[in-house]
Amino acid sequence: METANARQCAGKTLYRRPTGKDGIKDEKGSDCESTSSFRSSDCSDDLEPEWLDDIQKNGELFYLELSEGEEEVALAQANSASQGVSTNHVRFSEKEAEIITEQNKKQQSGLRTKGETTLKRLARILRRKRRPSQRRGGGKDGGKDSSTLSPPASILKNQPGQRQGVMVQQQQLKEVCVYLNPKRLGGSSTPLSGSGGLLEALLGVVHHPCWNRGQGNSARQEERLTIHGLIPNSPAIKCGQILIGDVLVAVDDVDVTSENIERVLSCIPGPTQVRLTLETVASVDGSSAGESSSILKTKACPPVSQLVRLLWGEDMAELQMSIRHIPHIVMYLSLKLDSATPQEEEEILYQYPVSEASSQLKGVRGIFLTLCDMLENVTGGRIISSSLLLGKHLVHVGYWKESSNLLVIGLPAERVPLLYLQTVLGDVVRTLKVMYGSLDSAFCKVDHAPRLDHFFCLFFQQLIQPSRLRDGSSAPATDVSGTLFLDGLPAVRWLTLPPEIKIEVDTVLSDFESSDFGEMSEDFFGLRRLYVVLGSCLFYKSYLIANHLPKEDLLDVCLYCQHYCLLPLASEQRVGQLVIWREVFPQQRANDSSSTAPGYSQPLGRHFLLIVGLRHFMQCVLLEAGGCASPALGSPGPDCVYVDQVKATLLQLEMLEAGIEERLNTPPAPCLSCADWFLPAATARDRLDSLASSSPIFSKLAGAVKGSSSGPRGRSRFGEKSRRSSFHRSLSDSGSEGHVDAGSGSGLSVGAGFSPHSTPDSARKLGGRQDLFGSDGSGGSGALFKITRMKHPNPFHLGTLRKTLTERETEEMYNTMKLTSGAENTLFHYIMMETVQGIFIAPTHREVAQLSGSIHPQLIRNFHHCCLSIRAAFQQNLPARARRPADRPQGGGWGLGPVKEHGVLFQCKPENWTDQKKPAPTMTYWVIGRMLLEPVPQEFYVCFHDSVAEVPVEMAFRLSFGLAL
Amino acid sequence: MFGSGQGVALSCCETEGGGKVAWRVFQDSVMLIAVSGGGRHGAGSSKEEEVHLQRLLENVWNCMVLVLGQDELTNMRNVERLKRDLRSCFSIIDQLLEDRQEGILGNLTHCTDSLIPPNTTVIQEAVDSFAKAADSEFGCLIVHGRIAAATEKWWRLAPQEVVLLSALVRTLSGSGSASCDYPVFLPQGSPTVAHRLLRFHLLPGADVCVLCGPTPSLHRAETELVGRFWSPLVETLRDCLAVGERCLPGSVSLRPDVLALLLINRETRRSVSCVRTSTNHPPCAPLLPSKARCWELLKLFYIFSIKHYFMQEETLCVTPEERAHKTNTEDFVHGFSHQPIHCYLVTEECKSYGLQTPQHQLFLLIPLSVPTFALRTVATQTLSDIVAATGLSPLM
Repeated sequence: METANARQCAGKTLYRRPTGKDGIKDEKGSDCESTSSFRSSDCSDDLEPEWLDDIQKNGELFYLELSEGEEEVALAQANSASQGVSTNHVRFSEKEAEIITEQNKKQQSGLRTKGETTLKRLARILRRKRRPSQRRGGGKDGGKDSSTLSPPASILKNQPGQRQGVMVQQQQLKEVCVYLNPKRLGGSSTPLSGSGGLLEALLGVVHHPCWNRGQGNSARQEERLTIHGLIPNSPAIKCGQILIGDVLVAVDDVDVTSENIERVLSCIPGPTQVRLTLETVASVDGSSAGESSSILKTKACPPVSQLVRLLWGEDMAELQMSIRHIPHIVMYLSLKLDSATPQEEEEILYQYPVSEASSQLKGVRGIFLTLCDMLENVTGGRIISSSLLLGKHLVHVGYWKESSNLLVIGLPAERVPLLYLQTVLGDVVRTLKVMYGSLDSAFCKVDHAPRLDHFFCLFFQQLIQPSRLRDGSSAPATDVSGTLFLDGLPAVRWLTLPPEIKIEVDTVLSDFESSDFGEMSEDFFGLRRLYVVLGSCLFYKSYLIANHLPKEDLLDVCLYCQHYCLLPLASEQRVGQLVIWREVFPQQRANDSSSTAPGYSQPLGRHFLLIVGLRHFMQCVLLEAGGCASPALGSPGPDCVYVDQVKATLLQLEMLEAGIEERLNTPPAPCLSCADWFLPAATARDRLDSLASSSPIFSKLAGAVKGSSSGPRGRSRFGEKSRRSSFHRSLSDSGSEGHVDAGSGSGLSVGAGFSPHSTPDSARKLGGRQDLFGSDGSGGSGALFKITRMKHPNPFHLGTLRKTLTERETEEMYNTMKLTSGAENTLFHYIMMETVQGIFIAPTHREVAQLSGSIHPQLIRNFHHCCLSIRAAFQQNLPARARRPADRPQGGGWGLGPVKEHGVLFQCKPENWTDQKKPAPTMTYWVIGRMLLEPVPQEFYVCFHDSVAEVPVEMAFRLSFGLAL
Repeated sequence: MFGSGQGVALSCCETEGGGKVAWRVFQDSVMLIAVSGGGRHGAGSSKEEEVHLQRLLENVWNCMVLVLGQDELTNMRNVERLKRDLRSCFSIIDQLLEDRQEGILGNLTHCTDSLIPPNTTVIQEAVDSFAKAADSEFGCLIVHGRIAAATEKWWRLAPQEVVLLSALVRTLSGSGSASCDYPVFLPQGSPTVAHRLLRFHLLPGADVCVLCGPTPSLHRAETELVGRFWSPLVETLRDCLAVGERCLPGSVSLRPDVLALLLINRETRRSVSCVRTSTNHPPCAPLLPSKARCWELLKLFYIFSIKHYFMQEETLCVTPEERAHKTNTEDFVHGFSHQPIHCYLVTEECKSYGLQTPQHQLFLLIPLSVPTFALRTVATQTLSDIVAATGLSPLM
């Protein structure tokens, strides 16, 4: 019903579309009384979408808005931590300032009568004036032109003197960062109270002018902004540091009084974060606030906000500065030199970045050109890579020749091993081709340069300092090999869903893809369709949960998403709204229009990619114009109807969110073990101790362990056994106690206490292993473990997750879900890639995070690194037909021949082993990769403990992940 | 080459189809460039790896030093004359390039190809006393191109030198002369002062050689010493020759399912390698790779393992500059947070297994019929068998 409403409304929009946008806007007010149909959607009451003004001249759109609540807090935290950075987040320019003053007069005159609508108008006009391109250099422009500004506008510029003043008065002043989103103003249900204006509406600060010992109008002119009250749920109250009685002194270093505050606030163009300077009255409060902010500081190194800011196009220079000493470069060089007009650096068509280390690489571009030319003559093959030493850095340079131009990308060897350079380069090239059609069209247009700068800034940041972008994120996977490997796979991470949810998701997607928009579809009005929906795919928290795109298109779309970090963004932060629209050139469709089945030819159409994200959901839609839809002319921007339809789809899907969350929270389908459990006593006990400090249950447990293992060394196994059983009893006893605690809701929940180990048989393992460690641990044979296996099901697990299952069923469940056979589960990690569908399955981030430990993250990093070489071995010797199109045929050499399976046995020792007398205990584990070409091409990578008998390994492979799929 | 002006040193390039080009400047005077053409032409040619090319460059340089001496190469006065002089080492360089003799992996591994004779002590004593009589501390017996026994001092030479001297002796004995007196510079030991390498042909396939100073003369040594020390041992030598390419004496029983093996002692830097000639396998079994292919696969697998997993520690390796060069080319190995100790590959032709212990590296080729899970057992058992059987001998 809700969506139906929405359709109706948007249908009217569609109907009026031919008459132009202005028409819509004029009548908007009357039309959309009933538009509050999108349940809790930000854009609900505003028919004119927020992103409309961000559309660029060529029709492209990248609009990202964080959701309310958590993200504001995150952003504020992030920025209170990085206060030193004095970037002015409110962007001004001369024009805008003037407009503001004009509008201000009007506003003053007609404020009471028109109220909300006027303000919306104003905001709209402001926004329209603000071209997206000004975002970047806006601050600077304001500073530069300050001399020409009229006095009221001069408040907008940065005044260094003022800031010094702030420094001096540090004790009385405090700075608070709040996140403001003027775009939410329009739709906000709270009407602007007459006098409060933006101060109340936007910031949530109540200021009563008359309370200040008002002495008539003359005094009111210069009145200080004492805070008399705070509005619930406003940014001011959420940040927790603005107190009643404080005086608002400045906003982003601009002095404010009651007179200019409205004007200053109205200059805030879009969702951003501002720094408020407040004068505190009570010093006691101030100190406590200071403390709390310092706590925040320690905790909050910037969360994803760094990434978000980079996506918004901010902070590029700063981030790039931090890696300027690491040599890396991208250049697009022309091989055809016009020798008649020798000019400096004429052959460089594009270059990024400009830094010391990269200029050194730029200096030797002659080498790259010569090598490219020479080696083709000498060896008969194009050059693909070369390695060179730059000072102490080894740099691998990858080459990609297209027509008469050469793309050169240099990357530090410690980030990208030579083995994988080709894949990385291939992916970049493919992404560029998807975005621009060809390398030439990407690089040779001058106006693409800033966008390419942004593109490659993201590219290098992700490769060279991924931790900086994803700091503070929940996912522990910041290892370079992991990202390299997983991103390099020609596949997307897939989340298996319970069938009933999967069916619903597919149905909803199919409904959308049928383009049956009812009253809003073009058919309804007898028009030709604007676009044909070729297919769409749906991500939830960076996992692909449904895909209705052909594989190659999926990969294209996914490469784009990966490059712009959209997947981690959706998984870690609730995205308020994300709308991306751009023309794309799907590689499969662009390349072989003739080579497909005879009698069929690809329609010659243009393709557009529409990505809409809401909360944790993100849907990517591939649209085709031309073909059977009406041909696209010029560079069309996103169409409101399609965007709204996707949004409606996502809102519909949000009902399933609970189900998907539940799936994410269930124990991993094939059980996983943590590497640390397999290492002998010392480390395990340390870990228990550390856990004990956080949980009363564990302190009991640890006590019990200590008690049992402090016994004499030479005890018999039999004695041990009896002791062990008693120990188990105590374990389960304490467990049930704890459970009762949790049930009664006293502060500490068992789930939390056990969260690092909530893999089903973890407690069992903890219990079972301790005594083994006491003897001589690491041997880890199955027989020993069999003794220790206990028959109690884990009380925690049963209590929290599977209430209805009987013991027996639980046992069975464990058995079926385990990949390895034998008493113990020895599987650490796995990745399975289905090449045909272009998806891969791996344990979810959450599952990995649950298995915390000191060795385990290392093991996973090692696993990924090893996968790099395993996959390289598969690729290197693969017959050319099965190769991914992005990889160039390496062909030729017989070499080792096609590799079907490759395994490596690793040995690990606990770090900083202090015991001199005993040799450090070791744990060995296999990392094995296998490639199947029949019946369907698949690749498996598994990592498991050495103790498993080898035949079961074979069986696990045979059974493959059929269970998981 | 170019780029040195801008502080950039180019080391290697790779082209489509596996072609590779590697550079290296030696002693600031000679630059060697190795180009491998990749596998464009015919299926048989293998893809050369960078490791291989770098080894080749090093070997070629050492070979030039061996023949001409370092002075001649670094302070060249007359380039034309140097070119002419260099012709004398072409034959060895050709041998390095062609890898004609099957089963000689020393060029690649920089570990001496050895052969374990059935009666080690007798041979060892003979070599020792022969060298002593020839006024030398350096002497060795080479059987089928592999060192069967050598004096203590001979083993103390740098591994590259030993490998190179073996190659030189192989070339010299290929010429068919009964004996020769050849001046050599030792690339690491004495790059500027020449020694005499005396080589005597004992039996077809068996040569004895000593490194000595001005005395004794070739004639005296040949007439007096060779006959005295070696004629009583003719039967023993024949036994040695009978070991042939298996390299291991009959007392070592290899499992039947080992196609080929390469065992490296990491401490003494000696290696034993062999490929089993499959004589009596059932006709219905899938075809086993040919002998030549086995050698090639073994070599490729060695390169693969070294490149990805197993560190080759060149503790004896000379200048720190060269070591820096090595670590740069092995960046991938250093990326592991835990140490790889075993690895295996299953390809369409056979299965390969490599393992590394603190003392040994073992590389095996095993037929496809052996199940994968049994590979590890086969490998560890083979290693323990060989070590047990030859444990007393100084070789392994």
